[in-house]
Amino acid sequence: MTIAIARSEKGTVAEAVRELMDTFASSKIKMLVYFASTKYAPSEISAKMQSSFPLATIFGCSSAGEIFQGKMTKGSVVAMAFDDASLVDVKVAVVKNLSRKIDVRDAYISFERHFGAPVNEMKPSNYLGIVLVDGMCGREERLMDAIGDRTNVLFIGGSAGDDLNFQSTHVYANGKSYTDAAVLALLKPAAPFELVKTQSVREMGVELVVTKANEEQREIVEFNHRPAAQAYAGALGVSVHELAALFPSHPLGLVIDGEPYIRSPKHIAGDSVFFHCSSVEGMPLSLLKLTNLIDDTKETLARSIAKLGGVSAVIVFNCAHRALELEYRHLTDKYGAVFAEVPTIGFNSYGEQFIGHMNQTATMILFR
Amino acid sequence: MPKEVAEMAGKIKQLIEGIIAERSKGNEMLAKVVKTKLILKGINPAHYSDQSEDDPAIINKLENMQQNLKH
Repeated sequence: MTIAIARSEKGTVAEAVRELMDTFASSKIKMLVYFASTKYAPSEISAKMQSSFPLATIFGCSSAGEIFQGKMTKGSVVAMAFDDASLVDVKVAVVKNLSRKIDVRDAYISFERHFGAPVNEMKPSNYLGIVLVDGMCGREERLMDAIGDRTNVLFIGGSAGDDLNFQSTHVYANGKSYTDAAVLALLKPAAPFELVKTQSVREMGVELVVTKANEEQREIVEFNHRPAAQAYAGALGVSVHELAALFPSHPLGLVIDGEPYIRSPKHIAGDSVFFHCSSVEGMPLSLLKLTNLIDDTKETLARSIAKLGGVSAVIVFNCAHRALELEYRHLTDKYGAVFAEVPTIGFNSYGEQFIGHMNQTATMILFR
Repeated sequence: MPKEVAEMAGKIKQLIEGIIAERSKGNEMLAKVVKTKLILKGINPAHYSDQSEDDPAIINKLENMQQNLKH
């Protein structure tokens, strides 16, 4: 099994892609996935990557910081290449116009034609889905619903970033750059793999039930039949004026079988609280408190590697909120070092996907 | 319970059980994933019994889910 990684922080697309090509020189690449800072013009880097590796299936997205074996970087492009020994097959599809209507049928038809098997009969132990989605579209929940309704194959991934400018995020496939779109890649790896979701929070023992919400806008109007901002602040024992300052350290989460699916608050408007992920009326959200991000990630990674029986490569979709928290605490280098022993690429994302959509989480793919 | 009430209850539980059985085919890990998908949609299987009222909005969500797997 051969999986190779490469990185460049050269100033231009041509120079950066040339450096990746030089690193991968001896590899016969079947599939290449990459994450790139928006300092590289989206349409230019997508076209250049495809023309530089014409025989490979290539996809990726823009990022808000990159991860490369042992390092957290900015203003770079990171890539992972798979050969025949590491990947049996792959098919990529683009789902466009997410803001108009989310329809994954054409993507799934293309998967079925390519693999010669119905997606609703594919075994999740044999196939793996990667989803990369425009991080500014606000449609990830519906997308993940549509993806998960039609197959048991698990899709994991992240929402594209744009170096924290929050202007325009891009997904890349077929030598093109797309907005308002998602790239779905269906992989049949040659060896076992493990999908991991990790977050560093603990429940504080307080539950806020969503009693009025505007799902499409990711707005919660009321918790426990009280104005949302008041109820949230009350649960933390602070005033509404003090609430926003506690958002990063005290998000909310839907806890399923002890596993939190975090909803990060974004801002307060009137009595409402807006989030980076929607919640449905009737949903009980637990008040959470951050724990040790480095130790939690290290332990999760070690446990997952042991379960898999070894690892040859890791792809990480790491929430930009986590990256900011690490910067604030001067722990960025320490977090990068968690991935020092394994060939790893990843990016800081505007949302993470695993079964559903969530925030303040790292989702990971471990390849044995 | 009056007959007309009995006929207007329990369909959600039936649909949930059908979806989990059809999708997991007895595989516990898959059953857990399907339950998670349902809870993320706002439908917690633990909250529905044979006596639960047939809420058309929830039934519609579940029937869509059932249909989507077939196509």
